[in-house]
Amino acid sequence: MSGLSAVYGIIARDLARTTRQTSRLLGGLARPFLWLLLIGTGYNAIARLEGGVSYQEFVFPGMVAMAALFGGMLTAISTVYDREFGMLRLMLASPAGVPAVLTGRAVAATLVGLFQGGVVLAFAPLILRVTPLQMLMAIGALVLAAAVSALLGLLVAARLRSVENFAGVINVVLFPLLFLSGALYPTAGMPPLFRAVARVNPVTYAVDLLRRTLGQQGEFGIWEDVGALLAAGGIAFIATALLFDPEQRFVGKGPTGSGQEPRASSG
Amino acid sequence: MSEPPPAIAAEGLGRDYGGVRALDALNLALPAGAVMGLLGPNGAGKTTAMLLLATLLSPTRGTARIFGHDVTRERAAVRRRLGLVFQETTVDGLLTVEENLLFAARLAGMNGRLARAAVRDAIERLGLAERAQQPARQLSGGWRRLVDIARAMLHQPDLLILDEPTVGLDPEHRERIWSILSEARRAYATTVLFSTHYLTEAEPADRVILLAGGKVVGDDRPDQLRSAFGDEVAEIEGPGAQRLVRALRGLGAVRTILQTERGFRVGLTGEREPIVELAGAAAGVDRLSLRPATLEDAYFSRTQDGAV
Repeated sequence: MSGLSAVYGIIARDLARTTRQTSRLLGGLARPFLWLLLIGTGYNAIARLEGGVSYQEFVFPGMVAMAALFGGMLTAISTVYDREFGMLRLMLASPAGVPAVLTGRAVAATLVGLFQGGVVLAFAPLILRVTPLQMLMAIGALVLAAAVSALLGLLVAARLRSVENFAGVINVVLFPLLFLSGALYPTAGMPPLFRAVARVNPVTYAVDLLRRTLGQQGEFGIWEDVGALLAAGGIAFIATALLFDPEQRFVGKGPTGSGQEPRASSG
Repeated sequence: MSEPPPAIAAEGLGRDYGGVRALDALNLALPAGAVMGLLGPNGAGKTTAMLLLATLLSPTRGTARIFGHDVTRERAAVRRRLGLVFQETTVDGLLTVEENLLFAARLAGMNGRLARAAVRDAIERLGLAERAQQPARQLSGGWRRLVDIARAMLHQPDLLILDEPTVGLDPEHRERIWSILSEARRAYATTVLFSTHYLTEAEPADRVILLAGGKVVGDDRPDQLRSAFGDEVAEIEGPGAQRLVRALRGLGAVRTILQTERGFRVGLTGEREPIVELAGAAAGVDRLSLRPATLEDAYFSRTQDGAV
């Protein structure tokens, strides 16, 4: 029970923080709509896609996945902020310890990703012809996409030491995950190397699953997508648990990799 | 009937960071309900010792038990008995004071009604009612620290570990924090382990450990540490100070000599009259004052190189 209370506490705090950072929340919501408007409109004129779908229709599932990816991943990566500014040690000092921190953070980030992706998905009937059942299935796909995004975010945060690295993370992790996922253009047209990377990119399967549930053609089968996402989530969780170093907040790393005295201390 | 285990029992507890020995070997047996101060200059190993006892660092050597629970093998059991205040405030600025405390209560394993009742009680006891709905980022450093203390005491821990709880605070907030801690000790027999750079704060402690360079250089009751320095302390300044110190030593009246920036701090022992007579006749002494020994004298004599 104490573990559940701790998990609930972490989720409640993360959600309260998210709703109070209105500019971040609004920015996260506006991003996919801006892409849909600016890139979608621009490419509509030049893109010729199979199946007679417009580019805006094609890119819509990708934008839902993008909202979930950015929402989930960035919320999870805020673990680094907590590490740098001291809140993480408070969580680690609780009886529930590391498992509660990882679970609470993963659930909270999933909910944020789900909300941001859900807002975009709510506009689906304006762009696509979807049935209520397809919407319901798309919500299920979104839950999976948000959860995997959250777990990937935790994996990135497991060893990240400073919030200053955030910009680097976005450029080096988030954008490649998005661009090499088939969200913006079909993976079939990619060069072989990029296509191979897309094959091991979990976001590819999230986009594909959303595409399929929203009635579009996909590259893989639905269960193939679900299996790949579950596997990616499981691997990310295990890798995070292995890489997450509770002492990292307290012990600095020297230039040669050897430890130093506690950063937080004067004594 | 077997005796209850001590609040803290450490044997040879130490931690290295790469090639740096931050804490050499801490031996400690602190009974439940006692108050112990950890004193030492920056980098002495105080925070390391506290983090090891709080299960947040793994020891490189030695063992420690908190109320009989091993700090490496029974972390959850240890943490349930602990309340921690870190050197930096651990308050989320985006949450209100009440939400911060509720978050901490849930982390401590309290749920629903129990958590809310504990938070209400803490807010009332620590005089935070007027600020309960205020975002924590709007609080001054002193009030943030009070929230920290409230957070650490929410679940009525058996052992409070406080790393420089009053650092950077004004005297009013420092006084308030110590009176809250004394009250907790009286009401719940809470064991308190704290570090501080304000040495007078350690005077009421049952026991003080002096650390320097990761090693224990003093471990006793504050009055014993003071009297080990001297029954009285003479502060001597001026060109003739060294001569007078030699004369006092010849008289057999010196227990400790500490060289300071401006002269000497001498721990004296024995009758006062001959010392006063000798000092009165000394030439080249610009300033001579006699005063009782303090913990600061003991601290400097054991942690600095100036001790002779």
